[in-house]
Amino acid sequence: MIQPVRVVHYVNQFFGGIGGEELAHVGISLANGAIGASRALQQALGTQGTLLGTIIGGDNYVSEQRDEAIRAITEHLQSLQPEVVIAGPAFNAGRYGLACAEVCKAAQALGLVAITGMHPENPGTLSYPSELLIVPTGATSVEMPTALAAMVRLALKLSRGEELGPAQVEGYLPRGRRRVYDRQRPGYLRALDMLQAKLRGEAFVTEVPIHAPERVTPATPIADLSRATMAMVTTGGLVRKGNPDKQVSSNATRYYRHTVAELRSLSGKDWEAYHSGYFNHIVHANPNYILPLNFLRDLEDEGTIGGVYQWIYALPGVSTPVAISKRLGRSIAEDLQAGGVNGCLLVAT
Amino acid sequence: MGIPVGMISAIYDLALTTGANRVIRGARIEHVCGDPNLGPEKDYAYGMRIVRTALEAVQTAVTGPTLFDPMDMALEREVSHAS
Repeated sequence: MIQPVRVVHYVNQFFGGIGGEELAHVGISLANGAIGASRALQQALGTQGTLLGTIIGGDNYVSEQRDEAIRAITEHLQSLQPEVVIAGPAFNAGRYGLACAEVCKAAQALGLVAITGMHPENPGTLSYPSELLIVPTGATSVEMPTALAAMVRLALKLSRGEELGPAQVEGYLPRGRRRVYDRQRPGYLRALDMLQAKLRGEAFVTEVPIHAPERVTPATPIADLSRATMAMVTTGGLVRKGNPDKQVSSNATRYYRHTVAELRSLSGKDWEAYHSGYFNHIVHANPNYILPLNFLRDLEDEGTIGGVYQWIYALPGVSTPVAISKRLGRSIAEDLQAGGVNGCLLVAT
Repeated sequence: MGIPVGMISAIYDLALTTGANRVIRGARIEHVCGDPNLGPEKDYAYGMRIVRTALEAVQTAVTGPTLFDPMDMALEREVSHAS
């Protein structure tokens, strides 16, 4: 007979039965055996696992005193000596999701199997996306039994030392890992299979999934343009003539800020484009094509806009990964916000 | 909330599918805000039309990725001068 697996559960103050939002400040405590949501976990484990205890943490406490909280949780884990830690599921509760991610990380640091569950849009999925095993759940606790069953299945598998299959097959969020294995059929046949399925209107699974772009809530429109300060950004690789700042021509890792406070337009004598993704020579003759300073100055003169922001921002957008673009974009946006800018024109080549 | 951005691009489809909320149709990749083939006056007028459309865009409430086409816009003041 196989020994039952030794399991510790982590839950927040709500699922631990301490209380709701008004008690989110409570520190780390340990309950022996199953309480609150842990009863459902014990049920899901059946005879295959023994629940050693339930660690409970207040959502606010864990997010505000993270280091202290994780230290306390680690101490409990060291004395309980489980093989498996199950955190949550946190569904779509943001702080709880973040806490579960931290607990799993701490448990893994002790060499334990750790699994959590949460809604794919829970911010906790972003903490350590390539390191944690996260079972996707619905947004609310209605799905508690299903979520726990899926988490337990993976936990038992891992505790037995079995290797997990691909994320889609096993039911966890992809960790972005690529493993070499034999698909049995060569690529051209798999492509034909997919094409045939598509033509027949049948379901097929792509081997190259494309990430759906992030949705950004549109900013509020400008109410009074005649008083608005307008900024300009270009991804067309605008540089000072001769590229004295040594900008690269693709795969940007930074952006450049130049002042145009004294300029009415961009002259090809002083500016040019350095960008490997398009034919730059037309911009060399008239850089305003990728950063329309001349137009905005005329519109400023006639009172259509309040003013032109003194700084312009430039980088070569070509081949720049989304993650880098996000970082650069956030930094530019922070700069514009600090500069009191009301609106922005972004020219993308 | 936030700073409205008018994204001017000749590959406006790409901008829309990747989630830019206010997209303005630019002329061409090599000369987004204007067209040198039109000669100086019309080039300026075309570029100004694109930029005015972008300014309309940042004054317009949108709920998601929206295209503003300079050729479709009834701009309040037509461009009559070239400088």
